[in-house]
Amino acid sequence: MRSSVNPGMDCPHAWELMPWVLQGSASKEQAAWLENHLAGCESCRAEFAQQSRLRLALSLPPDLPLDAEAGLQRLLSRLDASDPQQAPAPPRAKVWLVRALAAAVFAQAIGLGVLGIKLAAVENPPYRTLSETPLPVPPGAIRVVPDAGMTLADWDALLHALNLQVVHGPNSVGAYTVVPTDAAVTTGQILPRLRAARGIRLAEPISATP
Amino acid sequence: MNEADTNADAIDRMLLQRMAAGDRAALATLYRSYHGRLCRFLSRLTRRGDVIEEVVNDCFWITWQKAGEFRGDSRVSTWIMGIAYRCGLKALRQHGDEPVEYDLPTDEHGMSSDPDEDRELRDWLGKGLEHLSADQRVVIELVYGVGHSLDDVAAIMQCPLGTVKARLFYARVKLRNVLPTLAGNPNARKEGVS
Repeated sequence: MRSSVNPGMDCPHAWELMPWVLQGSASKEQAAWLENHLAGCESCRAEFAQQSRLRLALSLPPDLPLDAEAGLQRLLSRLDASDPQQAPAPPRAKVWLVRALAAAVFAQAIGLGVLGIKLAAVENPPYRTLSETPLPVPPGAIRVVPDAGMTLADWDALLHALNLQVVHGPNSVGAYTVVPTDAAVTTGQILPRLRAARGIRLAEPISATP
Repeated sequence: MNEADTNADAIDRMLLQRMAAGDRAALATLYRSYHGRLCRFLSRLTRRGDVIEEVVNDCFWITWQKAGEFRGDSRVSTWIMGIAYRCGLKALRQHGDEPVEYDLPTDEHGMSSDPDEDRELRDWLGKGLEHLSADQRVVIELVYGVGHSLDDVAAIMQCPLGTVKARLFYARVKLRNVLPTLAGNPNARKEGVS
C-alpha cells in the first residue's frame, strides 16, 4: 500500500533527489520515497524520464575520435624526452627510508650521549691505561709481599693488629700496598713489626718518586 | 561510494603507488582506464580534439609527477578529474580568453547515415548543452555522466559547495526548459522548479 502523495508539495524534494537516485547514491528510503511520489505525480514522472534520458546521453562514449594508444605513446615519448632526474616523482617509500635513517642516527646520537655521561660519571674505572698519570702514592704506604702459604685469616689478623688497610694489590707478583689507618703511627714503627711477622716475605716503604 | 567504486578506487591507488616507484606499466593501465571518461569530460569544455588530447596528456604528466604525493584524502578519480579540469582551464586560456565554443558535430556524416541510434541521443544532448555555460556543462557531466557527489564536484572545481549546488540547479532548470522541445515535445515547460 502506497503512502499519500502530495503533488506540488513534494515536487521540490523529488526534484532534488532525482540525480542521486539515478546515480544510485541515494538511500533505499529516498529511492522508495521518490518511486512512490512518481507513481502519483505525472509532472515529476515526465521530468524523471527526461533526467534518465539525460543520464543515458551523458553516459555515451565520447563522439570525438581520439585514440588512447596514440595519446599514451606521445605521453611516454614525452617522459623519455624529459630529464630523467625529474620524470619519476620521488617515491614516498624513499622519503620514508630517509626519514627512518635520520631517526636512527638521531637515536644513536642520543644513546652515545647518555653513554658518555655515564662513563664520565665513573670516578674509578676498573682499568688504567699506560698513558695515564700513575695514582699518587698515599703517605706512609708500604709494599708488602705475604708468603704464598699465608692464610687469608692470618693476613686479615695481621692487618687488623697493625691497623693497616690494603689500598692496592695484589699485583702480578703478589705485592699489596697498605697504609696505616691510625695517622699517629709512623711507617718506621710499623715496618719492623711487619718484617717480624710470620708469613711476611717483604715489607718496604714506598717513596712518592721512584 | 558503492562497492564497485570502492574496488575501482583501491585498484587506482595501487596503480598510483606503482607509478610513484616509476612503474610505467601502471601509468599505461591508468591512462587507458581514464582516457575515455577524461575525453568525454573535457569535451564539455571544448570540442577541439587536439586541445583535449593535449589536456589529457598534461593531466597524466602531472599525475605521473605527483603520484607519490597523493594523500588519499579523496578518491583517485576525484583527484585526477580535478587535475584534468585545471589543465583544461589552463589550455583554454592559452588558446583564447573564451572557452572554445560548444558546437555540435557537423552534419557531414548525416544522422540518417549513422546506423547508431546513439547519434540522435547525442544530438539531443548537444543541443541542450549549448544553452549552458562551460561550468554548468562540467557540473552536469560530473554528476550525471561520471557519477560524482556534490562534495566531489566541489573538490574537483575547487569552489564552495553552494556554488556547485547553484550551478547544478540552474543547469537543470535550463535543460528542463529546452530538452522537451528538442525531443519534439510541444508542451515544453518554461517555468522554474514547481
